[in-house]
Amino acid sequence: MTDLKNAGKYYYHYLHRYWKGFLATAILIGISTWCIVVAPTYLGRAITELTDYLQVWGNPATRAQASLTAFHQTLITYILLYCGDASTLFVASWILARITAYSTGTMRIGLFRKMQRMKVQYFDQHTDGDVLARYTSDLDNIFNALNQALIDIFLAIAQLVGILLMMFNQNAQMAWVTIATTPLALGVAAFVMRKAGKAVNQQQTDIGALNGYINEQVTGQKVIITNGLQADSRAGFRPYNDKVRHSAMTGQIWSGVLMPLMAGMSLLNTAIVIFFGSWLALNGQMKVGAALALVVVFVNYAGQYYQPLTTLTSLYGMIQLAITGARRVDEVRNQPDEVAVPDGQVLTGIDRDVKIDNVRFSYLPGKEILHGVTIEVAKGEMVALVGPTGSGKTTVMNLLNRFYDVDSGAITFDGTDIRQFTLTSLRETVGIVLQEPQLFSGTIADNIRFGAPDADMTRVVAAAKQANIHDFIQALPAGYDTRVTDEQSVFSAGQKQLMSIARTILTDPRLLILDEATSNVDTVTEAKIQAAMDNVIMGRTSFVIAHRLKTILNADKIVVLKDGQIIEQGTHAALLAADGFYAELYHNQMVFD
Amino acid sequence: MRVLIPYIRRYKLDAIFATLAVVLQVFATLWQPRMLQTIMEAIMTQDKQIVFHYGVGLIGLAFLGIAAGIVNTVFSARLALNVATDLRADLYDHVQRFAYADVEEFSASNLVVRMTNDVNQIQQVVMATFQQVTRIPLVFAGALALALVTMPMQWWVIALMMIVIVGTAVVTFKLMSKYFAQTQQDIEDVNTLARENLMGIRVVKSFVQEQSQIATFAKTSDRLRDVTTKIGELFAVLMPIFFLSANIAVAASVYLVGQNVTVHPTYLAAISSFTSYLTQILFAVINGAFMMTFASRAFISMGRLHQVLDHQPSMTFAAAGPTHVAGDITFDHVSFTYPGDATETLHDVSFTAKAGQMIGIVGATGSGKTTLAQLIARLYDPDAGRVLVGGVDVRDLPEATLRNAVAYVLQRATLFSGTIASNLQQVQPGATPAVMARAAEIAQAAEFIDRLPEAYDAPVEERSANFSGGQKQRLAITRGVIANPEILILDDATSALDARSEKLVQEALDRELTQTTTVVIAEKIASIIRADQILVLDGGRVVGHGTHRELAATNQVYQEIYATQKAKEGGQAR
Repeated sequence: MTDLKNAGKYYYHYLHRYWKGFLATAILIGISTWCIVVAPTYLGRAITELTDYLQVWGNPATRAQASLTAFHQTLITYILLYCGDASTLFVASWILARITAYSTGTMRIGLFRKMQRMKVQYFDQHTDGDVLARYTSDLDNIFNALNQALIDIFLAIAQLVGILLMMFNQNAQMAWVTIATTPLALGVAAFVMRKAGKAVNQQQTDIGALNGYINEQVTGQKVIITNGLQADSRAGFRPYNDKVRHSAMTGQIWSGVLMPLMAGMSLLNTAIVIFFGSWLALNGQMKVGAALALVVVFVNYAGQYYQPLTTLTSLYGMIQLAITGARRVDEVRNQPDEVAVPDGQVLTGIDRDVKIDNVRFSYLPGKEILHGVTIEVAKGEMVALVGPTGSGKTTVMNLLNRFYDVDSGAITFDGTDIRQFTLTSLRETVGIVLQEPQLFSGTIADNIRFGAPDADMTRVVAAAKQANIHDFIQALPAGYDTRVTDEQSVFSAGQKQLMSIARTILTDPRLLILDEATSNVDTVTEAKIQAAMDNVIMGRTSFVIAHRLKTILNADKIVVLKDGQIIEQGTHAALLAADGFYAELYHNQMVFD
Repeated sequence: MRVLIPYIRRYKLDAIFATLAVVLQVFATLWQPRMLQTIMEAIMTQDKQIVFHYGVGLIGLAFLGIAAGIVNTVFSARLALNVATDLRADLYDHVQRFAYADVEEFSASNLVVRMTNDVNQIQQVVMATFQQVTRIPLVFAGALALALVTMPMQWWVIALMMIVIVGTAVVTFKLMSKYFAQTQQDIEDVNTLARENLMGIRVVKSFVQEQSQIATFAKTSDRLRDVTTKIGELFAVLMPIFFLSANIAVAASVYLVGQNVTVHPTYLAAISSFTSYLTQILFAVINGAFMMTFASRAFISMGRLHQVLDHQPSMTFAAAGPTHVAGDITFDHVSFTYPGDATETLHDVSFTAKAGQMIGIVGATGSGKTTLAQLIARLYDPDAGRVLVGGVDVRDLPEATLRNAVAYVLQRATLFSGTIASNLQQVQPGATPAVMARAAEIAQAAEFIDRLPEAYDAPVEERSANFSGGQKQRLAITRGVIANPEILILDDATSALDARSEKLVQEALDRELTQTTTVVIAEKIASIIRADQILVLDGGRVVGHGTHRELAATNQVYQEIYATQKAKEGGQAR
């Protein structure tokens, strides 16, 4: 129920501005439906007129007066009514198609815009696949429902109302007969849909397990082959596959039987209408012509009456998906935004120092990661953070440009808490090179000028030169215009890292955070990256998170973190002399003759 | 289609029952107007007897329709699922016969998609075919035939209606087709942007580029919106024109009946059934067009499955040969190029290792280290030269012999979901706790396994997410040594281990597996410093061969690598 409420709020938010369009659609569809339900009466009237004509013509006395004029006029009216139906339906569909395209477009951009405003925390707590599914499957389901279901729902409701009115207007007795089977049909539909829902859930669970198995095995095929485990793998596959055979069969039967059942119910209903209609025609006081017309008209109505019912039940699944989709996208819409501090101080540079003062921090309440960390850096100094995985090195970086905020304590630039600066000016002052270089679609030049899109080529080339990647780029056939795409791995991890360093150099940040990328490159490439990093660090205040100690031997200060606490700090020489944790790390990594 | 026929034949009873049920269903739908016509005539002649009879008949016919619909659904679903399940099983078995090169050629994720999405697509199409597709031509042909029987002289009204409908559909779809291709491209672009911004959210935020990214995204999204608008507007034309032409046809036929009513007065009773046949023809044509687009997707899926099933494994193993080989390794002028590559990955590599030795392989990324190791395990065959294990060309060894002799531990440790024990027992069936414990001791995994409450029965989650990188690698090494292989390849398999654990692993290997030849590929010189011989690779060539001491003194490439890892001032060996 809350699902429905949230989905409703979501749709209201994005659709209410189109109220004029919806109103016009409703009116047009009202007219169109009126045409459709009225038209059969003209068909009936035409038959009555023909029958009468035949009688007048059949009698030699009156044959001279027999005329088809009324009959012709009725047929013309019939065609005009359908012209009215076609043209109003066309305009209504046209309006709804535009509303669908424009509203889903706004939803898509709204989701993206929201994503750019949300806290980093959200992305750390959700997998990329999960967030991406909101663009791909959820927005898609919403689009499909708006695109296909919306007009059908409008039509179905209008048609239902229109036909009911017409039927009762024409002949109440026959009208009751026509709708008599409705509760039965709806009951059957509800029963089948509930069964189908359960069976399809089971089916999806089993398919998920099967796909999981296939995925794990085939991505691990190298292990299977090198260990000769093919027969094992085949044997393990079979039970998963057979389980899907049975549960999916049940799922498909229940969900597949709905349409034929409704079609069958419609058939049954028509049969009942014919039966009672002809009984009425024979036992009532009607003229033959009128009786015939009554049956013809109500057979027509019976078919039309079941159409919207069938439509609505067949749309049920699609609507369900659209509700879930809207709920999931709405969930993102309700996430808290980052605090932008719009009227805060504008940070222009760092004149004296950066202080991390007795900072405590936890990602999840109760699980503190940093237990009172204090680090001081004077302007222009380089500090290296060292420690085992999970010690909190990366967390410190997350706090410096406010991806996260401290629980207690403070981070200050020249004595001012960073929470008092506008977020924009803070992040423009702090530059980051991440461990996993992330490039964007576009040219190499676009990527290097990512932080300053209006930078000219001179600046791009200068940055690339400083990052030691200019020669490599020049050697490419398209040079700086080489396209970068996410999928293709033309560039090695090391080259990507050098490009991301160039990107940071170009923005000339006053405070630099380097999360070293060394896990995927060999030590020779690492030395190249190191040289580029030395170029960036020069003259700036910097924090370097070091994985290989080789790269930070010249740091002004090395801070050793372990389990969220600082256990040692000092220069390389001093720490070696202390012969503590750092000295051991160093000996573990280095080769000694 | 070829791929499906044997499977459908296997379940032909399901197929036959499903089809028979469709025929009954169509009969019930089409015969109703026919009976209505008789009743109408009876009303005109006031024949109550006939009206009653046919009335009961009509209701019976309706129940027949319902029953046939249910039967059809049940058998269609049975058929679809049986076909899809068997097809998937055969695909899976076939893929398990693939050599590693074949898996690489298709890519693992691509094979997964084919076994899941494509098979699913086919399942849906089989189901739809037996539920709907057989129905559409039947309804069409039946309705057409009955319409012609009902009012033979009005054939041209029907023809005219169909020409207008089909013509409209063809023209509209032709106009739309170029927009469809555009839509696909735009959707892809939108998703790419979303994915990039998702993965790079920290980059975007730290460079304060949110607004420029929104602008880029909005531009792409608007392109998608505009093209969907165009498609929607074209679609809006279709239905109104279809219905209008059908109803003009109805009016035309009524008009014609009127003009001749004095000659054929019985046609008066036929008007109602004739118009309902016209409607059925209309819906058959619409559904047919819809099914066409559905089927075209299925044909693509079928093509993709053909590719897999028709692909013959690129490597076959000797059917008979030695059941056991020793751990000596010889590379005899081996060269190798990956399929589709322009340059050689290995060039003229020769060396010999005696059983029980430790071989170190170093070199920059892309120098061919892993390729060399893969040739020992015969994941690929060399283009020139020979690889010998225990003095026998690996191409002359039965698969089981080679797999038992060579254990290959990869850098990206892959364990399968289950338990620690299930992973170990896959390689060494029936391994006792003592055997598992010994292997774990060697791999330095025992210390953390023993701390787990369930010890060897501890669960391994999907992607072994419940173990750290170092733990995963130690478990993978445990699996590698449990069967006492003659050759153990550690392909950067200790990268997440600290130096001390790594040293302990190597000492345990020396002590416990004295006859096992160990091939160690490493970034860290420290990992191979103790090797009996070290191969230095550069661009696929062996540019250095000797012990650490020899290479450190004479080999330039080795020195360069070494220099980046050498302790600077102040340190001392411990």
